[in-house]
Amino acid sequence: MGLARTLAVRAATLVVLLFIVLFVISFALAGPASKILKDEIMMETKSIIRQLMLHGHYNSTQIQQLQTQIVTELENAYGLNKPPAIRTLYIMYNMIVFNWGYAYFPSEYGNVGGGKVVDIILSALPGTILLDTFGILLSAFIGIEIGLRSALKYGSKSDRAVMYYAALSNGIPQWWLGIVMLLVFSFYLAQIHSPIYFPTGGIISPRYYELWLTDPIKVFAIPQAALDLLWHLILPLVTVLIINIGGWAYFARTVVLNISQEDFVTFAKIKGLPEGHVVNRYILRPAAPSILTSVFITIPFIIFGGFLVTEMVFHWWGLGYVYNIAIVQSPTPDLPVVVALTYASTLLYIVIIFIMEIVYIMLDPRLRE
Amino acid sequence: MARKQREFRILGMTPSEIVREFFSSGTGKVAAALFIVLIVVSVYALVTLPPNFARVWNNPKYWQLNPQYAPPAWIDSIMGPVYSPQIYVNDYTFTVQHQDGVTYITVTFNVNYEYDKPWNEIFIVINNPAIYSMSQPPVVSITIYRPDGSKITLGPLPINTRVTTLGVSPEVVSQVNLFYSEEYHISDVVPTGSSATPYLFYTVDDGKLVPLKGPYRFTMVFYVFSQNSSVINRKDLEIVLQGQIYGLMGTDNEGHDLWLGLLAGFPIDLAVGLLSALIIVVIAVIIGIVAGFYSGLIDEALMRLTDFVILLPAFPLLIVFSVLFGWSIWDAVIFLAIVSWGASARIIRAMIMQIRNAQYIESAVIAGASRMWILRNHILPQIIPFILYLLVTNVPGAILTLSSINFLGLAGSDTQHGVHYSTTPMSLAH
Repeated sequence: MGLARTLAVRAATLVVLLFIVLFVISFALAGPASKILKDEIMMETKSIIRQLMLHGHYNSTQIQQLQTQIVTELENAYGLNKPPAIRTLYIMYNMIVFNWGYAYFPSEYGNVGGGKVVDIILSALPGTILLDTFGILLSAFIGIEIGLRSALKYGSKSDRAVMYYAALSNGIPQWWLGIVMLLVFSFYLAQIHSPIYFPTGGIISPRYYELWLTDPIKVFAIPQAALDLLWHLILPLVTVLIINIGGWAYFARTVVLNISQEDFVTFAKIKGLPEGHVVNRYILRPAAPSILTSVFITIPFIIFGGFLVTEMVFHWWGLGYVYNIAIVQSPTPDLPVVVALTYASTLLYIVIIFIMEIVYIMLDPRLRE
Repeated sequence: MARKQREFRILGMTPSEIVREFFSSGTGKVAAALFIVLIVVSVYALVTLPPNFARVWNNPKYWQLNPQYAPPAWIDSIMGPVYSPQIYVNDYTFTVQHQDGVTYITVTFNVNYEYDKPWNEIFIVINNPAIYSMSQPPVVSITIYRPDGSKITLGPLPINTRVTTLGVSPEVVSQVNLFYSEEYHISDVVPTGSSATPYLFYTVDDGKLVPLKGPYRFTMVFYVFSQNSSVINRKDLEIVLQGQIYGLMGTDNEGHDLWLGLLAGFPIDLAVGLLSALIIVVIAVIIGIVAGFYSGLIDEALMRLTDFVILLPAFPLLIVFSVLFGWSIWDAVIFLAIVSWGASARIIRAMIMQIRNAQYIESAVIAGASRMWILRNHILPQIIPFILYLLVTNVPGAILTLSSINFLGLAGSDTQHGVHYSTTPMSLAH
């Protein structure tokens, strides 16, 4: 009973949070930021007028008339003639039903679904899952293993080395390491004509790029394409691993150390249980909820954290890189993409957090009462 | 006996108490060391750099005399004299003669060339705006006496801008080519599109170009034809030999002195870090103490708020707001600080709840102590080290976040450290 209530409260909080984020974005978009939209309309109008002037004969008053007419029509089409409150609700509705509009993406990034924002974001999702989610899970796996070992050898030289490494990796920005890796393993290796060198960025070779954007599953079916993807993945993945393993090791070590000082562990040792049994049953099992919770809680955060910039450094076609292109690379900030991405990542984040709550309850019997 | 005098108190503690608590903990000492280093460098930066450094940084004219992508100057002291350093020629002789309405200004100076890689370029800088409005611009003719006894004559070149770049003018290129074909019978020494200046310092040995080391003597004769003969004077004339190494940390693709850029980042980083950490800690402490101390409805409400703030996706919101409202770096920092106090507040609340259930608190309550007295004497001294820890750990976090924001090209107009990590000029474009 209490469990259902707790879960319901959590779900309600998350949904309210989602709505607040949605409302804030939509309101900002509808109210103070409509100037950007007006600028974009002006730009669009000017290009239409230029086309008209090239292909027909108009005098200046006609042009003026045409311009005002096009501007009014476009403003009506975008709903700029309605009051901000109505427009906020309208934007919120469109966001919720996944009608995210069209992007202004430059065509060199591949023409995904005719520039529909939904398709662009969907095409970027596999890259993010491959690098960010897989990277964080792998580094958590390795890091927890290292942390466990170093906690069991508490105070030894290897334990201290792990701690120094953890402190160091905590202070380095991930994307900075990415730049260094690119410089060393891509540019310098290519400069000295090394037989093995890594690509300077990108998610896959141009040959397979179109295929990756449209149907990423098929890429894994072609061995060369999968190898090519792996070749591109190595540098970013190694960067992610180097930076993240330290933190996990430190965290797992602390948790395991705390538990191994508990009375029941001492008692199990006194009872003469084998070492492996003590570690697995008496140390790891109680440590599992907190370790897994933090693995899960990290996954939503990585979408926004250092990975955003890391993807950009490696030109890795994921959500972060799409964010960056939308912010910087188009002539004006690509508002539909930025806003839709923010909403999509919030949605993703909230779903993952809710799953995490359930997993946490499943793992920790104390919460089930 | 009650004390009559009212004391100055922060968080219920006198300043001396705070200082004592501060230095009694290890984290306090670390914090002090960190702050002292940052403050010293920041003060040094504020004193040595011009106050409008951000604008200077984005002004390409300021940096055009510097070499691009140059390594730092100290590599010569490790590798021996290999790369020629940047030289601002100061000890030149300056003589003026008037004849038939033409003013002849002769400037001579010596440089000692003892490196493997010669100077990239020679700049003649006239810091006199009158140079732009001359009906007939002055011309310069340059003679270089080389250590092997040969001499190269360059020019005449018109001087009609502030900076005259010697090696790129087609006349100079052809004169250098001519010199090599007459002396060593090699044609087209200077590759098309590159500067001729480095080839002033080469000789030919066995059909190959090798550096000619030794003292070089430059004689520049300026001919000023108009009445305004003082357009070129000692005060306004600057001669710069652009080296291949520069400064303490080298330069980037626009010739920016990276050491100055790094230095300029220190006060901003310190301010950003401190401001952000201060906002986070103040909010977290207030919320944590209130929630932990007054249980019940207030606690419940504050904890819901804290949950909310923890869950809020701050970075995407920051991106949206920066794009929509054109936020400055300070807006971004304050926004991030305002939405990132959640976890700290939760920990402080948990600490206070734990302390509150201790027996000594109970006995203090029985003895008739007021809530504020308990807060001041039993609770705050225990959480002060944690508050300091929060301050210390939040400063680098804020600085790293700032550099990420800057790297993304958001909210950037000043010089911060993120700019220097950038491989593209993108974040400078703002």
